[in-house]
Amino acid sequence: MPIGVYVCHCGLNIAGVLNMEELKRFAESLPDVTVARDLQFSCSDIGQEQIQKDIAEFKLDRVVVAACSPRLHEPTFRRAISKAGLNPYMLEMANIREQCSWVHMDQPAMATEKAKDLIRMGVAKAALLRPLEPESIPVSKYVLVIGGGVAGIAAALDMADAGLHVFLVERRPTIGGYMALLTDVFPTNDCSICVLGPKMSEVFNHPDITLFTYSEVLGVEGSVGNFTVSVIKRARYVDEKLCKGCINECAGVCPVEVPSEYDFGIGKRKAIYIAYPQAVPLAATIDPKACIGCGRCEQACPAQAVRLEQEPEDIKLNVGAIIVATGWQPFDASRKEEYGFGRYRDVITTLQMERMLNASGPTKGDVVAPSTGRIADSIAFLQCVGSRDATVGNPYCSRICCMASLKNAQLVKEKYPETDITIYYIDIRACGEGYEEFYLRAQKLGINFVRSRVSRIEEVDGRLFLIFEDTQTAEIKRVHHDMAVLSVGLEPEKNAEVLGNLLGLSRRPDRFFEIAHPKMRPVEAHIDGVFIAGCASGPKEIPISIAQGSAAAAKAIKLLHKGTLELEPTSAYVDPDKCIKCKLCVDICPKKAISVKSPAYVDEAACKGCGSCAAACPVDAINMRFFSDEQILAQVRAATFEKKESPLIVAFLCNWCSYGAADLAGTSRIQYPTNARNIRVMCSARVDPSFVLEALRRGADGVLIAGCRIGECHYRDGNYQALQRVQVLKGVLEKIGLNPGRVKIVWCAASEGEIYAKDLREFIAELKAMGPVGTELKKLKNNRNEGEA
Amino acid sequence: MPEDKAFKNEVLRLAGSEALTCIQCGTCSASCPTANLMNPSIRRLIKLCLEGRKDEALHNETLWLCTSCLLCTVRCPRGIRPKAVVSALKEIAGREEKKSKDASYEELFVKQIEQNGRIAELPLTAEFLFVFPQGMVSSMQMGLELLPKGKIGIEIDRIRGRDEVKRIIEELRG
Repeated sequence: MPIGVYVCHCGLNIAGVLNMEELKRFAESLPDVTVARDLQFSCSDIGQEQIQKDIAEFKLDRVVVAACSPRLHEPTFRRAISKAGLNPYMLEMANIREQCSWVHMDQPAMATEKAKDLIRMGVAKAALLRPLEPESIPVSKYVLVIGGGVAGIAAALDMADAGLHVFLVERRPTIGGYMALLTDVFPTNDCSICVLGPKMSEVFNHPDITLFTYSEVLGVEGSVGNFTVSVIKRARYVDEKLCKGCINECAGVCPVEVPSEYDFGIGKRKAIYIAYPQAVPLAATIDPKACIGCGRCEQACPAQAVRLEQEPEDIKLNVGAIIVATGWQPFDASRKEEYGFGRYRDVITTLQMERMLNASGPTKGDVVAPSTGRIADSIAFLQCVGSRDATVGNPYCSRICCMASLKNAQLVKEKYPETDITIYYIDIRACGEGYEEFYLRAQKLGINFVRSRVSRIEEVDGRLFLIFEDTQTAEIKRVHHDMAVLSVGLEPEKNAEVLGNLLGLSRRPDRFFEIAHPKMRPVEAHIDGVFIAGCASGPKEIPISIAQGSAAAAKAIKLLHKGTLELEPTSAYVDPDKCIKCKLCVDICPKKAISVKSPAYVDEAACKGCGSCAAACPVDAINMRFFSDEQILAQVRAATFEKKESPLIVAFLCNWCSYGAADLAGTSRIQYPTNARNIRVMCSARVDPSFVLEALRRGADGVLIAGCRIGECHYRDGNYQALQRVQVLKGVLEKIGLNPGRVKIVWCAASEGEIYAKDLREFIAELKAMGPVGTELKKLKNNRNEGEA
Repeated sequence: MPEDKAFKNEVLRLAGSEALTCIQCGTCSASCPTANLMNPSIRRLIKLCLEGRKDEALHNETLWLCTSCLLCTVRCPRGIRPKAVVSALKEIAGREEKKSKDASYEELFVKQIEQNGRIAELPLTAEFLFVFPQGMVSSMQMGLELLPKGKIGIEIDRIRGRDEVKRIIEELRG
């Protein structure tokens, strides 16, 4: 296997420190190397042409470029060799700039020796490279949107307009979500349903949207590009197509009245009902829990749409991507017993206030105290009910309640100028365009603000009293109000929990769905092809939910519009003869890409190549196509072939953060000792304990494993898995008689070059104190001998 | 007044570092049944500790008015234990022998229990009035009302197993 090695001068960046002639001669001496050259700038056209010429002339079948970081120019050289007819994956780079010449500028001789080792490691790995073909799979141009609130509606419309076909699944009998129930919305106080209503009917009439209301997702299989989804459409006992939505005919004769969930308990509906006049689809639903089966509606319906014998329908959908827009649910205010919600009639929630203020709500827009039915003279708004509260397990801020109360207070004040309104708050959070001005407006309208969290509400003779400390005057007060509005926080929708498990979505400590990266990937889930929009990933106001719906739509369009998907050929694969079906890999895979169907099977479309399964497999039945066990072991052996350093460290750096940190140390010219020989892996979880043991066995004095900071792993929790393995490994070393301190795991972000250098310096000092590897074994032996003597 | 960091850290060590997360919302003060007698309020007391204002935090009646009902601790939205802050301050005050009338009363109370296993109202009040003679007149008035109703024990009763009570108190004192 003829290998070509190219040592790059990079102007003086490398050649200014390292001895290029020596490196070239060293490379020539390595096994399988047919040609070795030093190039001024290997990435330039001249450099690339030289490599291509050699491939043709010497029939090279693999190439090693010793130059800058592969994170910079690996794509360049892959393109160059593939133009010359080689498979692009037959390239290996030795990083002798960022991780050698730039960080050891004052020790050129040692740096040259380190560069030799890095080249030897590169050639050793190159000898084991295999051609890989990126696989292209056809993908479905259908998309599933789960949740018909404002985020789901925005996503569905954008995708349908762009030419994808959308299936929109909504659990309730109508789309619209919570936004459809609100009165005017902040910060402009425009009517909520007036802006949302037209979008809802657009969804209904769009030729490229298939709407499933009163339906739920029961199962999801497959992976990005090709999901199979089972949906159940529950029986609404009314033919959706025949129903004209006149509702008075059927509901007028229905004898059963129950509290309406769309009015949060302050209004009523019949057993046959339409949620609200603007519902989409505008079709009645019979509530099977309330219906007594008298059949009067059936007789009354002029369109003969009532179907009391209707059965639920099972539907199978094939989609390429899934957008989760399952939204939120209000905090259950009765959990805060000290506020008496559910016991005191005049204590209500924000959502009940919204319905009261709504012109089509149960009071037709009048704000009345429920106990008396009279317009309230004084109203208190209590902020942070079920948010910022450790006692109910919701330490987070719900983000919209301050603004919602400011808005409702204004609406009440405008309607009833004589009403006295007080907002009790801990902090007013008005961060958004026009929000602070909105707060100012409320103050100018004469709304009172008391900085206090109300401790409890008492009812004495039907009158409410609030007890609180006004923290600005340090007075404990007991004040009467006719009505108290609890500003309830947002919690993740409980009904979405099962769905989250079906899809394999992870949750943050606040129980909302976790996105792939808290800043850079705001609408992507950890699972490829699944996107999250709106309040499913945390409390959000309407404009942001819409923006997220559109962002998720753009991501899905980008994924599916070509109709095919190219897969990185770097996935894991299983040797079926070795697999013992222990399912360890199934549990640890962050992408849910492995299933055990006797034997284990890796879905290569879902696999991202982190390699944690390969490290975890107890019988080594899983291997990686890229960064294979053999390749990494070859690098370890090459690194320890000749021991030029004391202590000698073999370091495994994860591709995303710590390798980036080591590169950054280079670009920042942070100087540190030459002791480490770095091996790039995709994730710290890739490090198989056998790699570490092999390194120590071959004479490395220490092994460093570096991963992303805890909580910032690019594969969700690979660094935790690495940590766990290192802890077990330390126990093993102790058993053997080696100092467990010889293996060390550290965390650094890609921005922390200085921390990487500091960790390395510390490790070197620790290893120096321990002495060369095996010192402890000799001591142990001597002790034993003494004991015997 | 300069910040007394050592004092602040000692309070946090004894009462838990959650106190650092206080948002001064006043839930604790407004929940407190004796809040109207307290100055500073429990909320202010926590702030004084966090600012390391040792003298103000230790020299007040608030500490000694706490009835340990724990409503503050149950309701605190940050999971702070304001009652634990009060206990910490009492402990520090005790260590530094910062005497106030209530602290002396508590001390005499415990001393009697240690000696006799229970308290006798008259001797306890008498002993306390030595430390706090200003209270003489009002105590006399109350005493004259209570005495005929048999609400005041004059004789010192001693229980059996006083040694055990003594041991318990010693153990608690550490």
